[in-house]
Amino acid sequence: MLQNFKQYFQKNVQITDEQFALLSKDLKSEKIAKHTVLLKPGDVCKHSFFVDKGLLRSYTINETTGKEHIIQFGSENWIVSDRSSAYFNEPSDFFIDAIEDSTIVYIDKEFTDKAAEISPLFRQYNEKALHNHIRHLQKRINLLLSASAEQRYMDFIRLYPDIMLRVPQWMVASYLGITPESLSRVRKELANRHFKPL
Amino acid sequence: MKTRSIEVVVSPPNPHYVGDGFRVHNFIPSGYHLDMQRMTPFIMMDYNSPFYFPPTDKPRGVGVHPHRGFETVTIAYKGKVAHHDSAGNSGVIGEGEVQWMTAASGILHKEFHETEFSKAGGDFQMVQLWVNLPAKDKMSKPKYQGITKDQIKKYQLADNAGVVEVIVGQYKDVTGAASTFTPVNLLNARLNKGGKAIFSFPKNYNTGLLVIEGSIKVNDTEAVEANNFVLFENDGEDFTVEATENAIVLVLSGEPINEPIAAHGPFVMNTRNEILQAMEDYNTGKFGYLEE
Repeated sequence: MLQNFKQYFQKNVQITDEQFALLSKDLKSEKIAKHTVLLKPGDVCKHSFFVDKGLLRSYTINETTGKEHIIQFGSENWIVSDRSSAYFNEPSDFFIDAIEDSTIVYIDKEFTDKAAEISPLFRQYNEKALHNHIRHLQKRINLLLSASAEQRYMDFIRLYPDIMLRVPQWMVASYLGITPESLSRVRKELANRHFKPL
Repeated sequence: MKTRSIEVVVSPPNPHYVGDGFRVHNFIPSGYHLDMQRMTPFIMMDYNSPFYFPPTDKPRGVGVHPHRGFETVTIAYKGKVAHHDSAGNSGVIGEGEVQWMTAASGILHKEFHETEFSKAGGDFQMVQLWVNLPAKDKMSKPKYQGITKDQIKKYQLADNAGVVEVIVGQYKDVTGAASTFTPVNLLNARLNKGGKAIFSFPKNYNTGLLVIEGSIKVNDTEAVEANNFVLFENDGEDFTVEATENAIVLVLSGEPINEPIAAHGPFVMNTRNEILQAMEDYNTGKFGYLEE
């Protein structure tokens, strides 16, 4: 249990097994079923969700159209959260739920404070993670504003090599901000260019 | 020849759905003692035990998905399934028929209940197997073999014991119609009550059987009911199956492919890097295109 989390954490903040045991003593983790909702709009996000196994997504639902807009997917070793809700202690605009049966580690402020005490590298790591998050968000805004559907798709498969195998295409289209028909078209054009029968 | 003894009898694990058309018990690789390396060249076996699907206008099944590195084999006992793939092959198989798709270097396919069957509804019972390919053939050309009833060769057992249908491989002097990359035997024994058949495969071949219908006694001692899987030890060649009531038994035996296995979802390769390559090739259209 939590092998991924332990490996991930030890790799990033270089702590010993004993330190990890101390740190994870009160850590809450849980197996959740597909469709379990971890956060909904209006609630304050109290945790970051580390995905030890499975797949989460964060998304919004447009109140007028009922359409879902996926902000982020998080598979193994990803952290999904609403950072601003958690930091500013304000109601979230987002849903977070499980697309597959998943094993989740609940990371809260207590854990991060304790981690910072135990490992001098933790703050550095956490800051880097935050800036990496900002880097992704900026890139994503830019792609949504300026890139073609194909460019968005190509960026998506580099970031998430196995998600096309794990979720229905409409979810990927929702993430990319295009219609499922456009995504089909993009994939068909790629196949026309790249498929070479033996 | 020495008797091959039973290693374990595995009862059907809890079923889950593949798409919305296949309600399956997964025996290989998640069943007790039935992981990929133990069962090679059989690396996956899903069994849809008899299940009634009510009528529908929208055929149930599994939408477009890829495979690379192995062969998928669907054996129909009840109901009908239609197949389409990105190599342009399509076909329908019904009761007593088999489709053998070599995904090899990569294919997209979809499998749905056949339209008329869907409209009428009915009992559905199938086995799907994944048969691994050796490293040298994993990137060979995809192909499709639809094996219809009249192509399945039969061996008539003496004393009205029943019949052994050879899907691939050999039983006595009868050789199956389908071709394989490594030695594989897949047989359907349809035995009358009291009928008995003896099976013989090289000791090192990984061997098992699934009771599709009825009940049997293996090696004169072990009673096995329908829907159970018998895994044999690799300690001998011969075993016997006797029907204690009219029975259908799927017998599988194949030469192990002793190579590393790297498996992720619909891809089964030899290394992690080959899996990453498969994902990239799938994502970038190198498996071709197939309409949903």
